Amino acid sequence: MTVDLSIPSLLWMYALMLVPLGIFLYLRLGVARALLIGMARMSVQLVLVGLYLKYIFQLNNPAVSLLWVAVMLVVANLAVLSKAGIRRGVFFWRSLAAVAGSTLFVSGWFILVAIRPEPLYDARYMVPIVGMVLGNCLRGNVLSLERFYSGIRQNENEFTTYLMLGATLREAIRPYLRRALKAAVNPSIATMATMGIVSLPGMMTGQILGGALPMEAIKYQISIMICIFTAMVAASLANILLSLPVAFDDHQRLREDIFS
Amino acid sequence: MINFENITLRVQQQTLLDGTSLHLAPGDKLVVRGPSGCGKSSLLKCVIGMFPIAGGSVHVDGMELSANHIPQIRGRIAYIGQEPVLGAESVREALLLPFTFKAHHGNQPDEKEIFQTLERLHLPSSILSKPSKRISGGEKQRVAIARALLLGKNIFLADETTSALDPGSKAAVMAELFRPETTLLSVSHDPDWIDACNRIVEIRHADLQETGKGDGHDG
Repeated sequence: MTVDLSIPSLLWMYALMLVPLGIFLYLRLGVARALLIGMARMSVQLVLVGLYLKYIFQLNNPAVSLLWVAVMLVVANLAVLSKAGIRRGVFFWRSLAAVAGSTLFVSGWFILVAIRPEPLYDARYMVPIVGMVLGNCLRGNVLSLERFYSGIRQNENEFTTYLMLGATLREAIRPYLRRALKAAVNPSIATMATMGIVSLPGMMTGQILGGALPMEAIKYQISIMICIFTAMVAASLANILLSLPVAFDDHQRLREDIFS
Repeated sequence: MINFENITLRVQQQTLLDGTSLHLAPGDKLVVRGPSGCGKSSLLKCVIGMFPIAGGSVHVDGMELSANHIPQIRGRIAYIGQEPVLGAESVREALLLPFTFKAHHGNQPDEKEIFQTLERLHLPSSILSKPSKRISGGEKQRVAIARALLLGKNIFLADETTSALDPGSKAAVMAELFRPETTLLSVSHDPDWIDACNRIVEIRHADLQETGKGDGHDG
């Protein structure tokens, strides 16, 4: 088991933050306030999550766990749309379907096919795995949506040319779809390629600190990386494809009112 | 061939055209004139559904410009702007790009046809291997026209097409676009181009008015 961190120990960890804070103030970067707010938010949110999870794990009720998963999905979806610079009101349900469908399918595969815990709906597996997959495929979704629509917007003449040359909407968007997906997956491929050498991944480190054997932790780490990557690619593609009917008008013009 | 019926075009609060009509017969060569920002380019773009129509209707070859017909209408028309986008890495890929789309699968031209089309536009066959980004504006325009010709299009929307061309290139482009069988709706300030057109229309007070040659005022 892990050595429990006492409150004074945690305060010593907060003390370490004086280093970046001091650097920011000395260099007048103007981000000290943002750092303090970010730190405060992180602390409060994690304390709350710690409390929620404690009760969710104690209850181990599938309905309660699924409700928590639904909350995570909705919040994640709102974050994706907001950061991608497109209007939540227009895309909310479509994006939710893409993000939730991909995350739940991949997490379900991991839990039901590979881990098979007893009971299958064990909250200790369901909640952290869905959370980890979801959290990690957010960036890919934001990047792909943002790159896709900004790509078409910035290359309107090129896009129009494709249509004029007889391309259907699906054919005309293909170059932008390719670029958007590449932008989304490239960082993850680079991360995977250096994992274990340049970085020790969080999940594996956490499990080892929690007392797991390194080889056991590695198997989980490999599985979660595959889950994250698959969910990210599927969600990014589904998100773009599902958004097409509302993003273009009936003459295949990109609607300007979709941008926030 | 191209019929505008009581069309209204607006940009934000400004009305460019207000319920006006215009009819082009097959083979017509029509040039639209008028001051900058009066809606000449918008008129051209609305034919291919790239500028929204606030009122009225547009018909091309008897088909109303609507969601159902837009792919067929775009399939029959070539739009040549001042700076055409080739949309591919090399000139050869640009010429063959439309044939990668379902609508033109199986109709890919052979080498001989490509060479002949390039020759008609005074383009050397060596241009095929050049990167699209490395050729001049005038060459780009001729490649875009060559691509339209390879697709068998005979309705052209030309927006200031000759403005960046040298006299030789201009003559080659005009020879192709002013063939008897092509229908041409254009915007131009070029006196030679305007002379070659059989119809001149001017946008005045949000209305399309047919004028005689030498009667217009450009901005």
